[in-house]
Amino acid sequence: MRDRLSEAALIKKAQQGDHRAFAALVRQYQDLVYSFAFKVCRNRERAEETLQDTFINVYRKLKQFDWKSKFSTWLYSIITNDCLMKRRRTKLDAASISINEPVHLHEGGRDERGEVLAQTLPSWRETPLEITLSQELRGLLDSAIQKLPMDYRLVFVLRDLEGKSAEETANILRLSIPAVKSRLRRARVFLREQLNEYMTS
Amino acid sequence: MRRRGVKCSDAFKHICENLDQKLNAPECREIKKHIDRCPNCVAYLDSLKKTILLYREYPHPKLRNKTRKRLQATLKLRFSQIR
Repeated sequence: MRDRLSEAALIKKAQQGDHRAFAALVRQYQDLVYSFAFKVCRNRERAEETLQDTFINVYRKLKQFDWKSKFSTWLYSIITNDCLMKRRRTKLDAASISINEPVHLHEGGRDERGEVLAQTLPSWRETPLEITLSQELRGLLDSAIQKLPMDYRLVFVLRDLEGKSAEETANILRLSIPAVKSRLRRARVFLREQLNEYMTS
Repeated sequence: MRRRGVKCSDAFKHICENLDQKLNAPECREIKKHIDRCPNCVAYLDSLKKTILLYREYPHPKLRNKTRKRLQATLKLRFSQIR
């Protein structure tokens, strides 16, 4: 019955302390939270821990939800805060590699008028739409994204995997839109560099 | 944006930020002209799109039933503590 209530009605009831309404909200969003957490941390157990911590935080903070944003935006901000806090606790980001923009694009292969003579950058192998990712490639994708500092990783997952707009990503992470764009650019370049050898060999 | 002499490095920022979107906007005409003629930029753009595609296609595990139950039990315990 509760699941048939509109989301706004569920949230209002849960804010007033209705536990069944809160449980219905959890059922509605648990898959989204788990899926997002897994995309970020690439580890089943850690994603499950994030799922639990997120809903405990939502329970604690639900009265603070002020309807100025979509509920899902607010929920994403709770999850991403949890990811950032956990990452800080492990101090892994302190040792993370710096994310520069390696401009390896060749200006070569052109004559003096700028006409292209030859391709000097190796092409990546084809990735058909129906991809069966090998164990090796999955491992490479996991380790590449785990090397990304968390604040870049969150932008990449929100923008490129969850399909959030730059504006919504900026709201979730409390960043400016130019900061979101810059982090996304660097994250994409970094991940591309990490996969380059495998994809061109 | 410069009207003449767009280089790979000029196209780079656009490619990394927008992939192949927005290339038809009037202010991007010179960038598009460059990318259309530059096999290196085409290869770079293709590799970035494939990077994102690989992450999108990665099969993510589903939430296990035992995890759903554990979550319900944890939250129930919280509710009882608040009462």
